[in-house]
Amino acid sequence: MKRIAFAVALVFSLALAQTVGNEPPPDLSPQVFEIAKKLRCPVCRGESAAESSAGVTEEMRRQIAEMLAEGKSEDEIIQYFVDRYTEWILYEPPKRGLGLVVWLAPLIGLGLFGFGLYGYLKTASRRERALSGLEDVSEEELARALAELERDDTSEEQP
Amino acid sequence: MRTVAGILVALAIGAILWWGMQTKDERSELPSALAGRPAPAFALEPLPSFRERWGGELDLADYLGKQPIVLNFWASWCYPACYEEAPILEAAWRRWGDRVLFVGVNTQDEIDKAEKFVTQFGLSFPNVYDPRGKVGIDYGMYGVPETFAISADGRVVRRHAGSIDATQLEAMIREVLP
Amino acid sequence: MTPGMLGQLGLMLAVFFSVAGLVSVVAAWVLRDARYVRVARRAALLAFLGTLVAFGALEWALLTDDFSILYTARNHTTASPTWVKFATLWAALEGSILLWALLQTLYTWLAGLRMRDYWTSPVALGTLFAVQLFFLVNVLFVINPFTPVPNPPADGPGPNPLLQNHWMMAVHPILMYLGFVGLSVPFAHAIAAMVTRRYQTWVSETKWWLIFAWGFLTAAIFAGGWWSYEVLGWGGYWAWDPVENASFIPWLLATAFVHTAMVQERRSLFRSWNFALVTLAFAATVFGTFLTRSGVIESVHAFAGGPVGPIFLGFLLVILTTGFALLGRVSSEVRDAGSVRLWSREGLLLLGALVFVVMAFVVILGTLFPLLVEAFSGDKVSVGAPFFNQLFVPLGYAMLALMALGPVLPWRRAEPETLRALAAMAVALVLGTGVGLALGWTLWVSLTAGLFLFNLVALAWLVASPIARKARVLGGVRTGVGALAWSRRRYGGYLVHFAVALTALAIAFSQSYRLDVQKTLEIGESWQVAGRTITVHALRAVEESHRYSVIADVEVSGLGLLHPRLNYYRTSRTPFASPAVAYTLGKDYYLVLQAFDQKDSEWVTLRLVVTPLVLWLWASAVLMVLGTAMILWPSTRRVQVGRTPEVEA
Repeated sequence: MKRIAFAVALVFSLALAQTVGNEPPPDLSPQVFEIAKKLRCPVCRGESAAESSAGVTEEMRRQIAEMLAEGKSEDEIIQYFVDRYTEWILYEPPKRGLGLVVWLAPLIGLGLFGFGLYGYLKTASRRERALSGLEDVSEEELARALAELERDDTSEEQP
Repeated sequence: MRTVAGILVALAIGAILWWGMQTKDERSELPSALAGRPAPAFALEPLPSFRERWGGELDLADYLGKQPIVLNFWASWCYPACYEEAPILEAAWRRWGDRVLFVGVNTQDEIDKAEKFVTQFGLSFPNVYDPRGKVGIDYGMYGVPETFAISADGRVVRRHAGSIDATQLEAMIREVLP
Repeated sequence: MTPGMLGQLGLMLAVFFSVAGLVSVVAAWVLRDARYVRVARRAALLAFLGTLVAFGALEWALLTDDFSILYTARNHTTASPTWVKFATLWAALEGSILLWALLQTLYTWLAGLRMRDYWTSPVALGTLFAVQLFFLVNVLFVINPFTPVPNPPADGPGPNPLLQNHWMMAVHPILMYLGFVGLSVPFAHAIAAMVTRRYQTWVSETKWWLIFAWGFLTAAIFAGGWWSYEVLGWGGYWAWDPVENASFIPWLLATAFVHTAMVQERRSLFRSWNFALVTLAFAATVFGTFLTRSGVIESVHAFAGGPVGPIFLGFLLVILTTGFALLGRVSSEVRDAGSVRLWSREGLLLLGALVFVVMAFVVILGTLFPLLVEAFSGDKVSVGAPFFNQLFVPLGYAMLALMALGPVLPWRRAEPETLRALAAMAVALVLGTGVGLALGWTLWVSLTAGLFLFNLVALAWLVASPIARKARVLGGVRTGVGALAWSRRRYGGYLVHFAVALTALAIAFSQSYRLDVQKTLEIGESWQVAGRTITVHALRAVEESHRYSVIADVEVSGLGLLHPRLNYYRTSRTPFASPAVAYTLGKDYYLVLQAFDQKDSEWVTLRLVVTPLVLWLWASAVLMVLGTAMILWPSTRRVQVGRTPEVEA
């Protein structure tokens, strides 16, 4: 489903990491890809610097390898790219300010829909009690209802 | 009540998507991370046809802070965008070359193809050769072509991503002219 | 007759019969005369046939290299192999919408045949006609692929090379659209239910269609993942890019709805919410189409999406406002009554649906977040794989836990007998996690393994306990097993659950223990890596009609020869890497030819990706489709179920 990304890249003239001057690309360790995965490919859409075959990401991976060889830490390397590309280059939005909103998305969603569900269930059960005119369903009635259900269950399954 | 809220949310999302669609072209004008900051210097070998005039190495540090600079990143494989803007850049260089330095950075290219491009458009401003594309990353470049305007005090003022036309280039130059 | 003329004619007929169908159902509704529904059904068939003619005409143009129409002139080339020519129909905007319209008319016709209810049929059918009319009018008037080209070129540029790189690209869009379009049927029935104030039965009437569409959505998502894996050359199957997310959102909402529909069927609860869910699920399919064709998310180097962006946005808003406006009436009229215990099947079904809705919310917010931030603060941010992966870990755990617990618990309230099962499941969870940790797996992977066993024990109990009960009643295990043949639908569901648990396991391992390296090797050189020896034997070139390929013959010890290649297409200056994968039950060895010595052919640069358990992802996809098929397979018993006054066919 990278159709768009590649169409964009094609329009924008994507240079594959094919050798410049017939020099082989550098050897890259797994750690390079680990770091590159966190950075986006500047020229493509929806691809990280580890995935893309665009020329600019080839150079990014090479620079990551060089910085690792110089003994730089992962944080320093990532900061190097943030200095040049802003935080836009990070695939993880910053966990502060507006960025916090998206990090809290599951909690917001859970709060919003969970509260709705809770409210719905409360009303529904209040209505049931109002309808049956009972404060609570008696044990006996429940047992009978259950037996009925059980019958339904088996009748559904038998020929 | 819930329905009204639902419809309002739908309309709000619709409004934002509409805005997104309407502004997709202007939003493509990316502010540079370097805007207002000192332009990174680099020293690179000029393409063969510029060596006579500019020597074996062009060091941007020699010019930064002394005069306005227009930096253009390009490649011969960048078709058609780079081919569209090359004549525009050359014309602007002929017009403002006495007050503004133009430097072309040939990015991730092969030397003979780059030379062919230079000859094809008769480029007379200095073009340096950056096979790895290291300078591009220093400038936070997205992809070729990209054009940066650097003020006389050596700071990045503006960036233009994609092919640049004559009006945009002129506006850019006027911004950095003293 | 040229393909262009035939196509235009087909489209006009399709639009005409769609309008005719719409008019007849309005007549049926206003005059309360079921005969008009019969007319509308015929119109639906004719509209389908008209669209089929248009579809056939476009294929005709493609297969005979007729460049006199816009679509072929822009997207076709004579050099394509036949299967690529055939699939070029849905490789670009106009054709893909035509395919969508074709499938929509097909669904309208088929769904119409199965509509039995006197009251709801006109509205449901009318909704489907309206939806298909939207697509047909777009194809005919806005993005007509048959627009004549004044000076036909001798050859065109051809489709995007990436789409020609793998046969799956011919299949994946069809699966996806079958899923997307399929959701229009439950939506149409929901609209009909809201209009006619018959709030209960639509769910059971459309369940078949819902699960049918769900099965295709599932298959399409996995097919897309497999295509990414086989083609894109980075050894991954899911990157959380906006286009992928666009296909995932309807799946999540449809999955939530599958589960809440069960609650409504069984307990008549959640009726108003189900209307909201089905509206959102259908709207999400249009939202996905909008995202992929408007360029709204691709902001930097915008992709020309043509004029359909605003039109699809309008359609999306019409769907949402219609759904919610009708819902406004429903929520004041439908007063569900009934108490739900959390610790019961319906309680957990609702919680499960909640988890899926929250997942959908996270994906929607994450996908749109860059746009939102830019609208409000002007800043640019990215939201990508690392973000989604982190948030989906806890959500995935919740899903896995509920998925095992829900079916084990009975409706309404827990029974003592289930406690034994729950105890066994808890033991499995602790044991699985503990063993994982003891083996040195990460906490997240161990927990997933524990939850996988948790599910396994639950499913084993679900399968075994009815057999035991039946055997007790009927005597003998064989009759017990025999009686199970009647619960095929239930077992289909269990199979799907098992496959989902397997998927989770495969995702956890493949995401956590992936090795990615790149190395340049001389021809003949060997490389010791990841417990294997990799030897490059040769580098060669192959010329085909539509491309030129450079192929490396690479031996991976114990797994034989692999042939990663670089394909050069005429239309693209840059090559496309075509990876080679050695699939094994444990780890996949994935080789990409990154670069090669263009002068002397003395070296190649290879990228190796070693990922565990990826094969099980594709296996679980097959199981999910099988499980869905088991649910859908018509059972002889259900045919006689009578319904309210029937519309005679």
